[in-house]
Amino acid sequence: MNSLSSRLLISVSVLLLLFFGATIAVLDRAFTEAGEQARRDILDGHLVALLAAAEPDDSGELVMPDRLREPRFERIGSGLYAELRNLEGKVLWRSRSALGLEVPEGTVPELGNHLFGRESFEDGTPLLTLSLAVDWELDDGDSKSYVFKVAESLDGFNAQIAGFRKQLFGWFAAVAFTMLLAFSMLLRGLLKPLRQIETEITEIEEGDRVSLSSKFPTELTGVARNMNLLIDSERARSDRYRYTLDNLAHSLKTPLAAMRALLNSRQDKDFGERFDEQIERMDEIVRYQLRKPAASVADNLVLAPVPVEKEVARLIDGLRKVYRDKHPEFEVRIEKGMQFRGDTGDFLELAGNLLDNACKWCERKVRISVVPSVGARAIASGMVLTVGDDGPGIPQDAADALLQRGMRLDESTPGHGIGLAVVKDIARSYGGRLSIKTSDLGGAEIMVSIPPVTTAKGQ
Amino acid sequence: MRLLVIEDDATLRESLANKLSESGFAVEQAADGKEGLYFASEYPIDLAIIDLGLPEMSGLEIIKQVRADGHTYPILILTARDRWEDKVDGLSAGADDYVVKPFHFEEVSARVNALLRRSGGWASSVLNAGPMTLDMSRQEVLVNDEAIELTSFEYKIIEYLMVRAGKVISKTELTDRLYDQDFERDSNVIEVFIGRLRKKLDPDNSIKPIETLRGRGYRFALERNQVD
Repeated sequence: MNSLSSRLLISVSVLLLLFFGATIAVLDRAFTEAGEQARRDILDGHLVALLAAAEPDDSGELVMPDRLREPRFERIGSGLYAELRNLEGKVLWRSRSALGLEVPEGTVPELGNHLFGRESFEDGTPLLTLSLAVDWELDDGDSKSYVFKVAESLDGFNAQIAGFRKQLFGWFAAVAFTMLLAFSMLLRGLLKPLRQIETEITEIEEGDRVSLSSKFPTELTGVARNMNLLIDSERARSDRYRYTLDNLAHSLKTPLAAMRALLNSRQDKDFGERFDEQIERMDEIVRYQLRKPAASVADNLVLAPVPVEKEVARLIDGLRKVYRDKHPEFEVRIEKGMQFRGDTGDFLELAGNLLDNACKWCERKVRISVVPSVGARAIASGMVLTVGDDGPGIPQDAADALLQRGMRLDESTPGHGIGLAVVKDIARSYGGRLSIKTSDLGGAEIMVSIPPVTTAKGQ
Repeated sequence: MRLLVIEDDATLRESLANKLSESGFAVEQAADGKEGLYFASEYPIDLAIIDLGLPEMSGLEIIKQVRADGHTYPILILTARDRWEDKVDGLSAGADDYVVKPFHFEEVSARVNALLRRSGGWASSVLNAGPMTLDMSRQEVLVNDEAIELTSFEYKIIEYLMVRAGKVISKTELTDRLYDQDFERDSNVIEVFIGRLRKKLDPDNSIKPIETLRGRGYRFALERNQVD
């Protein structure tokens, strides 16, 4: 029930059901009543005809003519029956059509009165009956009472009503179905802009689009505009945040560098070294704190996916220059089209620090592999980044210490400290983990696993 | 050799320049991006040290401009922004190495020497050619494993020539790179120093390390023993 269209469709279906239900009930009732009235009028006519046909015989008893004008009285089982009884209920005459059938006596009306009734044969055939009790004046001034009764089987009428109902339901069902179909098509058309917004937001998430287009109906332009404003301000905010951090780092570190340069020119060696230690510590704090992950401030919405192959190639080009004397052999295994969902700077920190450490420690060989997380459906959903080298490796206890501790201020594992701490922090901010093993190249192998974006959300 | 330092922080720039001068380099200084680009394009320099965060024009733009103009001398970046994004940007713009602030002078000096050596095509800081060995980190010259006593100026000349082994270096270039700007320029001085060097390195004139090309300059003539 969370979809707009299913809500609308359900409401409309209920409304249609109520409306058509009421209409059907009213029409059915009107049709039935009109039909019954017509039957009554006909019965009345037959009764009058019977009265006219009845003649007293010589003995003063009423008798009916041998043949009646209405042929249905003469045909056996025709559905139209008539009989004549005296007040005691004795049947004096019965139409030929009622041969073998027992028309129930029913309620006898007051003398001189009509009475319509609904009765039935023993076999259950429903009947509409009209009885008339009359006082027949004879020629001798005497009078005798009789009850005339006509009955018509309602089988035909009921069949007619059933047919009518069937037709009624059929038509209304067809109309309702057509209306629902038309309505859902209309709804699709109406909701198209909403789906368009959804598609465009997905495109923004996937980095194929910068902002929402302006091709929306008037009612939605406001939403689209606000959405764009939100995206823009979110982007600006994360840019500003990074810019502030960069500036802070820059403005803190240049004076640190200057202090160190000044110290170098002093004669007092011991003082200089102690002072230098403090500078070193301040530098590490600045480096660590200001290189915290950028993505924690930016929503996934504003992050275009990072083309992993290209960024790794750029890093390796740079590192080839820096380690030109050593020229390590890089082995790159990257899934084609592999993308990282996150901030480019964060990805460069992850891969850059790991590669830099590997270059520092390797004998000759450095291997980097980037593959999607196991079980991730889309290629951009998660990432396993592994960097290995053929250097001396990291002893297990040192590895445990590196993984457990937050920031390392001592340099018992020189070169792995800050970089690895930053990698660990960034991995964690994406909901990921860091593990240290021995590479089959012989040295350290550091693996960063980042889960799919959906589970990393809300971090 | 002539270095260019572009750094906007005066204390840092001056102390860096002083230290580099003490190590025997001629140093030009620029305090902002525009001035820096001017020096980087117009002066005969062997290596530039460029801070990335500069007023007027960013270090990155200077590097791009310098490379676009076809200058190939090595560039060392000084950066306070030590995020990989910035390092990679700098390196792919054409820089050759980076040093992150705050640095120890020794770090810069080591990178500078390594870059100069590499730009001469040497893979190690110990240069071997024929019977000669020059150790850049120890500023020491050996012939047939025997240390040769050299003055600092003589050392600078042989280092400059040997790093560029096989290339012809004019007298003007030598004076330009080895003297500070305000030094009195006299090409005869160079001739005198070359003469003394030859005597010290090759007293019996058997290995002939320095070749004179009349009207063109000098060339370090020994074959390199080590190939990069």
